[in-house]
Amino acid sequence: MKTARESKLISCHLCHTLSRLPQDTGYTVTKGDKKIKCSCCQSILHSRYPDSISRTWALLIAAFILYIPANTLPIMSVNYWGEIQSDTILSGVMHLLHEGMWPLALLIFIASIFIPIFKLATLFLLLISIQLKLVYRPKDRTTLYRITEFIGRWSMVDVFVIALLVALVQFGSTASIRPELGALSFASVVILTMFAAHTFDPRLIWDVINTNEK
Amino acid sequence: MNRNRLHHNQKNKSSNVRACPDCDLLQSIPLLLPNEFAYCLRCNATLLKNQKNSLNRSLSFAVTGLILFFIANLFPLITLKALSLTQNGTVLSTAWVLFEMDRPLLSLVMLFTTFIFPALTLLGTVYVLLQIKTNRINDYTAPLFRFLHHTHIWGMLEILMLAILVTVVKLGDLAEVIFGVSLYAFCLLILAMTLLDYYLNPHDIWNSIRQYNRESK
Ligand SMILES: [Zn+2]
Ligand SMILES: [Zn+2]
Repeated sequence: MKTARESKLISCHLCHTLSRLPQDTGYTVTKGDKKIKCSCCQSILHSRYPDSISRTWALLIAAFILYIPANTLPIMSVNYWGEIQSDTILSGVMHLLHEGMWPLALLIFIASIFIPIFKLATLFLLLISIQLKLVYRPKDRTTLYRITEFIGRWSMVDVFVIALLVALVQFGSTASIRPELGALSFASVVILTMFAAHTFDPRLIWDVINTNEK
Repeated sequence: MNRNRLHHNQKNKSSNVRACPDCDLLQSIPLLLPNEFAYCLRCNATLLKNQKNSLNRSLSFAVTGLILFFIANLFPLITLKALSLTQNGTVLSTAWVLFEMDRPLLSLVMLFTTFIFPALTLLGTVYVLLQIKTNRINDYTAPLFRFLHHTHIWGMLEILMLAILVTVVKLGDLAEVIFGVSLYAFCLLILAMTLLDYYLNPHDIWNSIRQYNRESK
């Protein structure tokens, strides 16, 4: 069995129509100077996503950097009878734990702390494994990628909770909640890692693997 | 479900040749029976699915979703009652309050992920499916469906659902939380959108568009 690229074919990433590959520059396929479009859906055809590795690195590094303010800055501040209390992601989880709401604490811990770290680490390792041209367990690495792609957006749950709390708890000077900069940083981390997972091309994992082995 | 048949029908000319989107392996997929899925031999990605009556089912869930989306945004989702004061919360009011509090970016994130993208997904899907059903595909169907595909992951209503649940539990001790009519509509909307995702078969839609392209040439 062969891959589409070995057979001089190119598969549209959207509608999966197969087209001939006239001249493979590795990224975008060109005919003369013009980019080739899919005959069915008009998407620009790529044998692999263009600059997948460097784009994913750029987004990942940006996410890493924003991850610091996301965790150190407060995500919201609660004003209760004039007493103002700010919470970071971690202290928010701790509060829930002290109040005995451990299922909630666990949920927020998974969504806001575990998933982002898992996602950053997985993409980091996948990129390294591709750059080192590793042939180690490609199927598992692809599965890992799919998990990352699937769970990433669920981290937004904490941002939405803050937004809802802010919208609901507006009782003038007695009780009010304000969103703080940490919430925006955290939302940016989630969005950047979603883009990073999107620009990552899992086919690169398989490019170093000989198709005849299977 | 039926991995072995992939091998059997490898030489069948009527079968559908596909490259795996995740590993690029070319493989021919036999004609699938209803409710059969074809998986990649090498990396286990789903290559193709065949669902009975996919067009009608997805259209009905999309229309239901659209109606529920309308109801869910018309009335408050939850109302908070404390100290004889009440505060209503809708999807749009949440985005608006953030904007008023000088958090325009956060407000935009809310507005797009919980209102604009889900609304476009529902409206666009109904429109595309109706075009296919009534044989009125035009030159804009393909770009529209492409747009819907790209914006799909940015609609996050099911995550908002979870966030509402968390908020209700968090506020339960401090104030009285009243569930609005819209909350029930919202729960059903999540169900309708999940079923829509399950039944919608992009392959069938692209096939119809392919046929239109062939005829219009
Ligand atoms: Zn295409
Ligand atoms: Zn595959």
